[in-house]
Formats: sequence, C-alpha cells, structure tokens
Amino acid sequence: MVLLWQVLANGILLGGLYALMALGLALVWGVLNIVNLAHGAFIMLGAYVCYYLFALVHVDPFLALPAVMVVLFVLGYTLQRHVLNLIIRAPMFNTLLVTFGFEVVLTNLAQMIFSADFRTVNPGYAGANFNLLGATIPLARILAFTTGLSLTAGLWFFLLKARLGRAIRATAQNLIAARLYGVETRTIYAITFGLGAALAGAAGDLYGLVSQINPYIGGSLTAKSFAICIIGGLQNPLGVVVGGIFLGIVESLTALYLGPTYTDVASFGILVLVLVLRPTGLLGRTA
Amino acid sequence: MREFQLFCIAAVFLVSGPAFSETITLGASVQITGPLANTGRYYRDGYEFAIEKINKKGGIRAGNVNYKLALKLLDNQSDVNLSVRQYVQLLTEDKVNFLLGPYASNFALATSSVSEKYQVPMIQGGGASDQIFSRGYKYIFGTLPVASEYFSSNIAAMDTLKPKPEKVALLFADDAFDVSVADGTRNILTKSGFKLVLDKRYASNSSDFNSLLSLIKDSQPDAILVAGHETEVLNFIRQAKSLNVSPKFYSFTVGVPTEDFRKALGKDGDYAFGMTSWLPSAALKDEYFGNGEAFAKEYADRFGYDPDYHAASAVADVEAFAKAIEAAGTLDPGKVRDAIAHVSFDSLYGRIQFSAAGQISLPQIMIQVQNGKLVPIYGQKGLINSPLYPMPSWDHR
Amino acid sequence: MKLLIRWSVLAAALALLIVLPWVAPATLVQFGISTLMLATLAQSWSIIGGYTGYASFGGSVFYGLGSYGTAIAMIEYHLPFGVGLILGALVAVIFAVLVGLPVLRLRGHYFAIATLALAQVVPAIVSNLEIAGRNIGLILPLLKNDALFYEAALGLLVATTISIWYISRSRFGFGLMAIRENEDAAAAMGINTTLYKTLAFAIAGFFSAMSGGIHAYWITFIEPGGEFDIGLNVKMIIMAVFGGPGSVLGPIAGAFLLSGISEILSFKISNVASLFFGFVIVIAVVLMPHGLADLWHRYKKLGLRYFSENIRENRV
Repeated sequence: MVLLWQVLANGILLGGLYALMALGLALVWGVLNIVNLAHGAFIMLGAYVCYYLFALVHVDPFLALPAVMVVLFVLGYTLQRHVLNLIIRAPMFNTLLVTFGFEVVLTNLAQMIFSADFRTVNPGYAGANFNLLGATIPLARILAFTTGLSLTAGLWFFLLKARLGRAIRATAQNLIAARLYGVETRTIYAITFGLGAALAGAAGDLYGLVSQINPYIGGSLTAKSFAICIIGGLQNPLGVVVGGIFLGIVESLTALYLGPTYTDVASFGILVLVLVLRPTGLLGRTA
Repeated sequence: MREFQLFCIAAVFLVSGPAFSETITLGASVQITGPLANTGRYYRDGYEFAIEKINKKGGIRAGNVNYKLALKLLDNQSDVNLSVRQYVQLLTEDKVNFLLGPYASNFALATSSVSEKYQVPMIQGGGASDQIFSRGYKYIFGTLPVASEYFSSNIAAMDTLKPKPEKVALLFADDAFDVSVADGTRNILTKSGFKLVLDKRYASNSSDFNSLLSLIKDSQPDAILVAGHETEVLNFIRQAKSLNVSPKFYSFTVGVPTEDFRKALGKDGDYAFGMTSWLPSAALKDEYFGNGEAFAKEYADRFGYDPDYHAASAVADVEAFAKAIEAAGTLDPGKVRDAIAHVSFDSLYGRIQFSAAGQISLPQIMIQVQNGKLVPIYGQKGLINSPLYPMPSWDHR
Repeated sequence: MKLLIRWSVLAAALALLIVLPWVAPATLVQFGISTLMLATLAQSWSIIGGYTGYASFGGSVFYGLGSYGTAIAMIEYHLPFGVGLILGALVAVIFAVLVGLPVLRLRGHYFAIATLALAQVVPAIVSNLEIAGRNIGLILPLLKNDALFYEAALGLLVATTISIWYISRSRFGFGLMAIRENEDAAAAMGINTTLYKTLAFAIAGFFSAMSGGIHAYWITFIEPGGEFDIGLNVKMIIMAVFGGPGSVLGPIAGAFLLSGISEILSFKISNVASLFFGFVIVIAVVLMPHGLADLWHRYKKLGLRYFSENIRENRV
C-alpha cells in the first residue's frame, strides 16, 4: 500500500514538471497555431543556462529562473520575429519543417559549444527529502512542482487580466479585429513565441535539478510535451496541468505494474486513444 | 649537360631517402557527434594516439617493407545506418587496408556485416554483447571482454563481505550488451547462493527511475546491481539519493571508471562499486607506451582528460593490427585475419589474445569510488584493497 | 514534340540508373540504394500527404513494420526474401486499414500528432516483443550483392512512381485531390471519403513497407531504434515538399537532391554536417515553400523576385 502511495506521489510530482514543460508549447500552439518541434531544444538550452549560472557564478537554480527566462525569451522573440513570421501563413507543415530545422541547428550548436559531456546541477539541497505519510518526497521535486503550478497560474492571470495578455488572446481569436484595435501583429506574435520559449527555459532550469543534461534531451521532451497538450486540451492552461499530472501518474503506475519498458507504450498509446476518442482533450470543450 | 642529368638522377635518389616509406591506412567510423559522442571521443583519441606512438617508434615492418600507419576517421553522428555506409566508403573509395570499430554493441553488430561482406578484418573495442561473436563471422574481433562475465569479480567479492549481502536486486537496460550482462549475472548469482529479489528490465535512455527505486525500497535488497548506460546510472544514483534509497552495496557496469561521471556526481558518487577491464597500472608493460601508468599520464596531458578502459581498448585494437601485420608479413586481408586470430602479446591493456569466436578474455577488476578517488578492490588474485562497506545511508554521510 | 523529348529524357535517365551498379564505384551504388529507398518513402508520403492533404508522420511505422515483417519471415520461418517482402508489406497494409479507420477521422494538426504518436507507440511495442528480438534486434543472413538490392530498390521506386502517375490520372486520384481541397464538399458530392483516404493510406503504407523490407536484408541487423527512426518521417516530408508535393516526379528530385547534399556533407565535413542540414531546411522552407517543381516553372518568369514573392505570400 505504501508502495502504491509512493509511486502515485512520484507520478504527481513528475507530472507537475511535465506540465511546466508543456506549458510553453500549449501557449504557442493555442495562440499562434504553430506546432513547435524545437520546443525540447528550448528546454535543453534553459537547462544549460541554469547549469552555467550555477557552475560559474553559483546562482541557485530557483533564483536563476528570471535570468534563464529572459535569455530564452530573447531567443524565441528573435526566431519568431525574423524567421517564423515569414512563413506563418504557409501550410501547416511548413512551420513543422522550419521548427524541425531549428531543433537540428540548436542541438548541434549546443553539442559544439557545450560538448556532449553530461552535466548535473547539484545544489546542496538536491538530494534532500522528507517523509509524507510513508512516502519519501524529494524536496527538489516538490519545489519544482509548486514553481510549475505558480507559473501556470501566473500565465493564466496574465492572459486573462493583463493588457498585453488580452492583446495576445485577441490576436488569436480574431486577427482582423485585433488589428483594427491597433494591435501590432508581428510584435505580438514574437512576444508570444518568446513567452513560450521562456516557459520552456524555466522548465529546463528545473529539469537540471532532477535529471542530467546533455544536448540531446530535446527530442523526447518535445514528444512528451505534445502528448500532454493533447491529453489535457489546449483551451486553457489548466488543461496542461491536468494533462501533465495524468501522464505522470500513468507512467509511474505502468512502470510499477506492467514493467519499466512499457512506459512509452502507455503514454503514447493513451495519446492515440485521446486523439481518436476525444480530440479536444480531457478538459476540452468542442471549439 | 650530361653531368646535369646525372646530378638530377642522383638528387632524386638522395631526396627520396633510403627506405621508401609506404602507408597502411586504418579506417574507422566513430561517434564524434550525437548522443554517443561522450564515449566516442575515447576511441578517436585512442586510435590517433596509438598510431602516433607506433609511427614514432619506426612504424611496422612487414615482408621487408617499412610502413607507417595512417588513420582515416569519419564521424557517424551516432547514426548506425550512416556508420554502415561509411565503412563501405572507407573500404571502396578511401581504400583503407583494415578497419577499426565504432563504440557500442549495436554499432559493432551492424558494421561487422560490412567487414564480413568485404572480407577485411575489423578489430573493435566498443562492443561486448554475445550476438556479435555468435554469428560465425570470421572477420570481426573484439577487445572488450565477454558481457556475461562483467559482474563476476563483484560477486566473488560480495561473497567475502561481512555481513554478507543476501538479497540482491538486478536492474538492466534492454539493449544487447546489458541483456547479455544480466543473463550472465543471473547465472553467477544463483550459483553463488544469492537470492534474487528483484529482476527488472528497463527501457534504454530512461531518465526516470522513481518507480524502480520505489520497488527497490519495497523489497529491501542488500545489494543492487545495475547494467545500463552512463546517463541512466547517473540519474539512478541522484534519484536514489532524493528518494532516500540506500542499500548496503550497489554496483554499476559503467560510469564508475570514467572521470567526468565521477565529477558530475561529486560526493554522491562515493561508495559506488563498478568494474573495469583496465586500470592504468605500471605492471602492464607495453612496447610502444612503456606501461599503463605512463600511457595514462601522457594521454591526460595530450587530450586534457583521463583515459579509461574505452581508450585503452582502442589502443589495444591498433596494437593488435600492428602485431598481426608484422606476423603475417603481408597486407593481404585474409592472411592478416589469420594472424590476428593467433596473436598473443602483452600491452598496456593486458594480454591481447582472441578466442576462436574473436573475443578477448580479460578479467574484470572490481573498483570503488572512495572519497572521489578510484580504488581497485578485487581482482583475479583476490582482494587488493579494503572496500568501504556497508554504504552509510544518505543522511549519515 | 515536347512530350517526346520529355519521355526520352526520362527513359535515358532510367537506363542510366539501371546500369549503375556495373559502371559506378561501390560507394555510389550504396548511396544509390539508400537514396532510392528514401525516394520511395517520399513518393509514398506524397500519396497521403501531397495528394490527399493528410500530413502523415507515420511513414516510419510502415517502414519499420515492413522491415520487421521481412526479417521475421526470413529468420523464424525461413522464407525466401521475396516472400518475406510481401508478408511485411501485408502486415503494414492491415495495420494501415485497422489504424487508419479511426485515425483518418482527424484533421490537420490532430492527424499529424496522431501519426506521430503511432510512430512512438509501435516501436515501443515492438521493443517488448520476443519474436522481434525485443530491444536487441534481429540478425538476418548475410548476402553480399549490392547490385541485387540496388535493382530491387530501383524497381520499387519505378513501381511506386508508375502507381502515382496512374493515380494522378484516375478518378481515385481526383477524388483524393478533391478531399485535399475541401473534404466536406467532396463528401457532399458523393465521394466515399473514408474509403478513399484509407486506400491512400494503405497504398502509401504498402510501398513504405517494401522499402523497409529491402533495407532489413541489406543491412543484416535491425533494431527498433534504427527501423522506426522518427527522423525518417521528417526526411520523407522534407523531400516530398522540397521536390513539390502532388507532382509525380517532384519527390524523387527532392530525395536525390537532399540526400546528395546530406551525404556529401557527412563525408566531407562530418561534424558540422547536421548543422548545415538544419540551416538548409530552414532556408529552403522559407524561400521555396512550394518545392523544386514550382521553382523550376516560375523562376524563369520571376527570377530572384520568386523568393521575395514567396515570402510576401506567407508572411504575417
């Protein structure tokens, strides 16, 4: 019984991190209709920025979050403003191909600049844990979980209340009307993509705490993020949280009951089922 | 005019030198970029270094001709299919004489088909899984010892520990090499009277071990044996710490002998056991490098990082070719192949000698990380140094 | 007259390709085998992605199924290569129909993601199957006969291209294009969209699987990661889109050109090859989103303005 609770707890905490990872992808997908295949590469870069800040200047990963997010925001903004904006009205798979190209370029640049050595971010509290009803809860994971939820909530309020956030939503809903109201589309698009990249960077920052970093972690993280977005639904940020936690629990339970070689079968199998049976996701309403 | 002609002819002879130096080219396709680049570089550097050293000592002499060795190295970007095509290119377009292998068992499995198809010997130091040597191929040789024996020194040592661990957990990744290791280990464990309480296969490249660790916590083993890849072992140890899993003993097939692995873990790496087929020992005499210890020092100075058994294995591959070519006295691939099958000499890697199936036989030495340093614990002749056992729990370190 | 020139050029190119193994160096033959297989994949993708408008990321699934089907037939049941190929292709077609029926009901991004998910699930399942050698893989018998594999791959590409040519002129083909342009209108006009889509998916799967089967025997060692390589999907799509989706010969041109660039980069400047390839993709998609076929036709009229026109058409 304790084992089950431990595995569930693992799953929920893992899910929180997953949700944060998928958040940026969901924002960009929902608002810009861009499916960003380079999303995992942004997470990877965020992890590296955090690593170098930690290794060279001894900045704690949580305190480094704002810096990491700013760096990734600038990267995302530039890519959108100067490259993606050029193809945004082309057929869908053109953006898929271009973002795939980004992924290849960013991963290879990372390998050349940072080398393939694996890095870990190991602050003093990295292994700390406490006991909760019989299960061991790693401190780093629960901090990552709460940070993830806070960022999600923050994004939700931003989109709902802040002027810029509402401009973003307006552009997504009705481009022509938004323009009539004075929204500068190119900038809004660039800001949105930049935000998505910043959120990915934040996820990467926290990822380094729980797992090791190398230039090639991007691919599988992108795939996972897709799964979460679809499973949770793209209608609002809460969907990503639900999707993430759901996936985390499914993976943990599958590893326990079916065997650790079946986790991918479970996660992507569920993705296929959700797509076929309920494409708008667990939380979605029909658009 | 005539004097001038004579002078030119004489000059040509003088300038070309008394011994026309020919070249033997060794071709290799190695992971320089891509996910396996971190280990691939040991092979690139090992091959280069060995060839340099052999050339410095005068090269190879076969059938009254002096030869220099040359290396043609391609980057396969950690892509097996590309590696196969590159080996064909090396043979047919670059016209290399012989082949050196890539890293990793699945690469060795795929690319050895090329050496077999073209009947040119390949010596590889990066793959140890059973399948490589059980296909009846004649042109593939390997300097990594048999996978199923990897844990034997560890288990022999476990027998001598007090209190003796009784319950053992075995975890292994699902690739060719680690499955071979697990199959062999299972046999040795049951023969030695240990109780296998957990026997779990996990997907290669997993990054999340929390479920497995929770299972481990639940079954309370005294010892954990893990056969996997470096990134997995790294994640396993870190997550073991954060989930407070701390058995009396744990041992890993990879990572422990490698410098940047120990650096990445820092203090968390202490007490971990592992194995290596090679230690930089002065007792391992070598014709070209002096001995193992001298080699390690020169390598570190030259390349900026410490060598481990991958690099030594790569050097062994080159030396094996050198000795075989000299013994065969010719560059004919078939005759060199037969010569390789019969080599037997000492090197900085140990005794180089291949079984009928083409694999080297070297004992694994059990090692442990003690205060950040690598300490050999148990070898062929028994205990070398005392192990730090049992491992204290995480909050008592 | 123009048609006669066109056909003679094609015939000459084909003749050249056929005799290649006996006149060209071994590396070129190798490159040929690999490129011909990719060209077949690009063509198969074109059927479901180019003509029908359903951007599938599942080509790698059929390729892998064909590969494993052939391998298992040859290893477990000791069947000859040809029979193995057909069996592998059959497995892929059955899979295409069974899975295609539910998945083809999705549109746009959702269909793409569903096929991408399949591309992840199927290798995960295969790596757990004992008969497929789990994650270790399978070893096939060794055959040194590059000429055989080359001609097989060439034959397959010709068969695929002829099928596409035939489809593009048939009622079936027009139905597919109607579905691409406006699926609801097509259905309203009486086209059985489910039948047409599934058929297209199955045909694409058939040819991809045959390609995989040839690859398995050629390379003698297969494992889930290599045969179900997700990167193949992107390669297929890029080649088809680069060449001109919805045209008969476009994907072949795209495949040969991009393969050539990639192979040359890999052999000459190994370690920045991937990086350059990434840049090439980005620049190609931005500057020539309609592919080579379109570039060929319209560059003559517009010159360099062709590129700025493309950008103006697609920018914010």
